[in-house]
Amino acid sequence: MTLRNLLLPSLSIVAVAAFADLAQAQVKIACVSELSGPGATVGINFRNGANLAIDEINAAGGLLGQKIEMNCADSQTNPGVARGLVQKALDANPYAVLGPVYSGSIKVTAQLTSESGVTNVIGGEAAELTQMGLKTLIRTSFGQQISMPKLAAYMADDLKAKNVAVIWVNNDFGKGGRDGITKELKARGVTISADISTEAAQVDFAADVAKLKQAEVDAVFIYLHEEESARILKEIQKQGIKKPLIGETTLLNQKVIELAGDAANGVRGHVGLTADAPIPSIEAYRHKFMAKYNYVPDHNSMKGYLGIYTIKAGTQKMGKLDPKGLTAALKGLSVKAADEPGMLMDVSIDQNGDLDRIGFLAEVQNGTTVITKTLPALKP
Amino acid sequence: MIALLRSRPAACALAIGVACILLFLPLTLSRFGNYMLAMWAVMTIAAMGLNLTLGYAGQVSLAQGAFVGIGAYATAIMTVNGWPLYAPLLLTVALCFAIGWLLGYPALRVQHHYLAFVTLSFATLAYLVFRNEEWLTKGTYGIFGIPRPTLFGVSLKHHLNFYYFSLAWLVICAGLMLWLVNSPWGRAFTALRENPARAQSLGVDTRRYTLMAFAIGSTMGGVAGVLYAPLVEFIDPNPFGLPLSFSLLLMVIVGGSGYFLGPALGALIAVLLPEWLRDYTQGYYLIAYALLVMVLLIYSPSGILGWVERRTADARTRRASLARQAAVPTYDAGSAS
Repeated sequence: MTLRNLLLPSLSIVAVAAFADLAQAQVKIACVSELSGPGATVGINFRNGANLAIDEINAAGGLLGQKIEMNCADSQTNPGVARGLVQKALDANPYAVLGPVYSGSIKVTAQLTSESGVTNVIGGEAAELTQMGLKTLIRTSFGQQISMPKLAAYMADDLKAKNVAVIWVNNDFGKGGRDGITKELKARGVTISADISTEAAQVDFAADVAKLKQAEVDAVFIYLHEEESARILKEIQKQGIKKPLIGETTLLNQKVIELAGDAANGVRGHVGLTADAPIPSIEAYRHKFMAKYNYVPDHNSMKGYLGIYTIKAGTQKMGKLDPKGLTAALKGLSVKAADEPGMLMDVSIDQNGDLDRIGFLAEVQNGTTVITKTLPALKP
Repeated sequence: MIALLRSRPAACALAIGVACILLFLPLTLSRFGNYMLAMWAVMTIAAMGLNLTLGYAGQVSLAQGAFVGIGAYATAIMTVNGWPLYAPLLLTVALCFAIGWLLGYPALRVQHHYLAFVTLSFATLAYLVFRNEEWLTKGTYGIFGIPRPTLFGVSLKHHLNFYYFSLAWLVICAGLMLWLVNSPWGRAFTALRENPARAQSLGVDTRRYTLMAFAIGSTMGGVAGVLYAPLVEFIDPNPFGLPLSFSLLLMVIVGGSGYFLGPALGALIAVLLPEWLRDYTQGYYLIAYALLVMVLLIYSPSGILGWVERRTADARTRRASLARQAAVPTYDAGSAS
């Protein structure tokens, strides 16, 4: 093969690609997520949900006529790496930044996005994220300051629990949940009879569950990551504990149910996002996600999906692609799912970037999350 | 200097080339590029400390990440409360030297993998302190908003300024290390590694030098931590767990344990190579990185500089052999008859 034979096709490909690029301008969204390390399950779901939304929007003509392009970089679940990647993303002048999901990473990356004025749509739930004065953060799920009062009220009022055991993972996620639920339960006169901290990636929960067994409690609040939640549920089943097991969205996550099997049955809790909600738009989302990825989506994938549609909603409100104006357009925005099915539920975003929308009380029955009660938005 | 240029022109040209790259390349890089280069400088300082303990003195340590953490936490806590950066720097130097000295005592009794486990236990202990002593470290929530200092009226908030600040510290630490390893102390450290019994019989106080190796190496780790905190502007316990200690060990071994420039090369591979591979191998970058490191260590267990030295020695041997062959008088059979 001569040099000319090689060069001509190569040049043609480059030329075609260049013209294709000119013909279709693109909106660049930078994504930084936990694709490896302890947060890989979370981050991969988040990215997959976002990619599904992008495919849908692009298939429908794009964002104000322009295709969305997103590259998702792996933070390795390390705040230092996440900071570098968000810096790299901002150097390329993205329209918006999606992620990370882990609150520890967000605390360092949000400072950069805030300084640059680029909207940062996050998956984190730690309460303080939107209370640190960082201007460009927008959540995709409830913060702990919204979900924990609902859970505490459920335990105190519906279960009539007087003594509760709290089992939590000792990192920023778990500690935030533990502090939040403890404060809310105490405010309702409920005693924390056992406060058990566990490690991220812990495998053996026999000793922790034995402690739990000895505690005289009316309910057990579990706040761990997905894999650890499944492991502790199996251990609780093995040691024959029959107390009500209560959790937040993660405990009722599809991944937990898959891993824990029978042991997940009977688990109850509050879920801000679930693909099992009996809402037509969520059912449609679940169907599309399964068709594309061949597994049941969890709440993290919904966060990624909603993140992209949140950016779309803000852009449509502005009527133009203005990265500096996107945050202002999103703050104070209310979107009806009837107008934008991609938002899945009616939602309002406040001036801090926190969300208000309906939530759910759910129970795992026969390996499926069943919604037992729909909790209204705080400001319907 | 001129004598040095004449005696080792290639080494001088290389040094000038590297200096030019380190000084001028960042001017062409993005903020991310400069952030990564600053991270490389910080990690090189920490790895240089470990190279002294492990590479020169032969004492295995898996606690270097913990010393980076001690420096980072001291800086974060003090600067967030309004102290200037030199205050935590002085505190870190004193603290890490003292703790490193104390950590050296087990090395007087145990060696090799036993010592590795002792230092690993210390690293775990330090991590637990960072995480559980919330009153001081804010626990898993971490410390947020760590300010970057102002130096001689120049704010180091700008990425390029902070890179040059980190580079200046790297030059200072490298200069001190160069002086140290070329001094009688450095030769004593090497003697300690090669044959402690013989070193003692020659009058080297092996006990004191073992403790010094730990103390100085740990102090370098602490200094790296002092720079790490304002570089990232946020710290929580996770970056200072065992993976950082292993990563620093990797830097030393891949670069070439016991070689002065080994840590800088190792940090180049451990910090910058994964980021470079990320652009070409997408989601497989960590697999590609791991494979490259495995191949490198299989091919050259003594690291990159070990390989370079081997090649140089081979070439020298070949040249010497050729010279010897040329020097031997050839026997002319025709003239003999």
